[in-house]
Amino acid sequence: MIQFFKSIPFHMRSAVKSLVRHLVMTLSAASAVMVTLVLLAAFLMIAGNVSGFTNHIEDDIRIHAVLGEDIVSEEQLQTAKAEIEAIEGVKEAELSSKENELKLWIAEKGEIFSIYEGENNPLHNAFFVSVNDPDNIAAISEDIISLDIVDDAMYGGNSISQLISMLNTVRSGIIIFVGLLGFLAIFLISNTIKMGIYARTNEISIMRNVGATNSFIKTPFMIEGMIIGLLGSVLPCIGAYFGYSYLYKAMGGQLFSNVFAFQPINPFVFEIIGILVITGMLVGILGSFLSTTKYLHWKR
Amino acid sequence: MILLENVSKSFKNGVHALRDVNLYIEEGEFVYIIGPTGSGKSTLIKLLDGELIPSSGRVVVAGTDVGKLRHSKVPLYRRNIGVVFQDFRLLPELTVFENIAFALQVIGLDKVTIRRRVREILELVSLEDKAKSFPRELSGGQQQRATIGRAIANSPRVLIADEPTGNLDPEKSQEIMELLEKINQEENTTILMVTHDSNLVDMNKKRTIALEEGYIVADIQKGGYIHHD
Ligand SMILES: Nc1ncnc2c1ncn2[C@@H]1O[C@H](COP(=O)(O)OP(=O)(O)O)[C@@H](O)[C@H]1O
Ligand SMILES: [Mg+2]
Repeated sequence: MIQFFKSIPFHMRSAVKSLVRHLVMTLSAASAVMVTLVLLAAFLMIAGNVSGFTNHIEDDIRIHAVLGEDIVSEEQLQTAKAEIEAIEGVKEAELSSKENELKLWIAEKGEIFSIYEGENNPLHNAFFVSVNDPDNIAAISEDIISLDIVDDAMYGGNSISQLISMLNTVRSGIIIFVGLLGFLAIFLISNTIKMGIYARTNEISIMRNVGATNSFIKTPFMIEGMIIGLLGSVLPCIGAYFGYSYLYKAMGGQLFSNVFAFQPINPFVFEIIGILVITGMLVGILGSFLSTTKYLHWKR
Repeated sequence: MILLENVSKSFKNGVHALRDVNLYIEEGEFVYIIGPTGSGKSTLIKLLDGELIPSSGRVVVAGTDVGKLRHSKVPLYRRNIGVVFQDFRLLPELTVFENIAFALQVIGLDKVTIRRRVREILELVSLEDKAKSFPRELSGGQQQRATIGRAIANSPRVLIADEPTGNLDPEKSQEIMELLEKINQEENTTILMVTHDSNLVDMNKKRTIALEEGYIVADIQKGGYIHHD
């Protein structure tokens, strides 16, 4: 280990020399890393915000289940609550008494309806039903309507859940792209490193000849790959920082309404930058590991 | 020090480079390996330095069964043996000093040790005044002395030289010969030298092993070249 650290200057020199010698290859491999990371950044931004959105709007996506006229006693309400909560995917059923229902009605439709307060209240008792997964809200709503005790069930937020499922689709699409581009980047890096290896076959054969270990021979190439990965991550990181900050400020930190609050710039962008840098480095190291291992194991 | 037991080596193309070779070389010996082109001399060397694995039989060097070494252990084993080739293979962009130091750097020695050892080696191979020269500024004989210096820098117990004088004139060849004898005596390094040079072998008589078509056809203690009529 101590020997390893003493050798670092040696390895750094070899790595940088080789990168400069194969500048075109280096830049093309770094660009592949760059494109991959730009997409990865987009993915992380969408994914991070969608999961935030989902948490926020869970409350908003609730089913309003209006009970039958005859469900009035405390005992009947308890049973109704139990029946609704027994449905799969239901998180919680919260009672909204007919008095409360009227208050909401008045709040929504106007003071004029206050004449119905008291004995004349024509509304029924109801439940607000929250669900575990907004995607299933339509099916759960059907299930609730089919209960005998329930007269009607409605839910809002249809367009919201559509938006979320669309964003989820975009997110899955991007991750596939990120995967494919990641492979391309690894391939290009391993090719760049291979050029470096061939340019130095003489040096490597001497190293083998005098008993340098495989890991010693590999190290400068791994550093080389890592530097390519880091080079490729510079622009995506800068882009992620300014891009997200700009979007955040331009949209006032939210999309349409505060239901869709964006993740705050700090720490969100910095977490993304961290992930980009680490991914770039790992892609670089993996690419060079593949080509050096292949080369070194081809000969004894 | 070196033991070959019933060693055969054949290649995928069907060539039998070595056939049932038995050989024992003691620590500190100086041995010539002679034979016509294609008789299996280089193959024998590659078996000794772990580059090739015998098709059958056992190759044991300094207590290590070379053919059974795992790929990752070959480098550590190789620190026990120095190999010199006919083509000099110095790194052109490094000075003589740096070329010799390189061999010690890549096995992870520290700077101070490296500097001290390289000075010793330069003196041993008589290149003190060429330390800062680049390979292209040296004569063939000087270049070969530098590669020998590099091969023995980490004090290997065995030095193998594959036609080290193949590209040199007789006078320079004799110089290399004397250097190898000096290393053999001063560092007690076991030396195997493959050669074509019948004059050299006749002038510096030593144990001589003759190969022909993969067979050992002679093993003469106080050698001299074997002349065919
Ligand atoms: N890697 C190889 N693959 C196939 N044949 C080989 C290989 N190396 C050597 N040979 C053959 O083995 C025989 C012995 O070769 P070699 O050991 O190089 O002989 P020498 O060094 O005595 O000239 C030759 O016929 C050569 O063509
Ligand atoms: Mg040969």
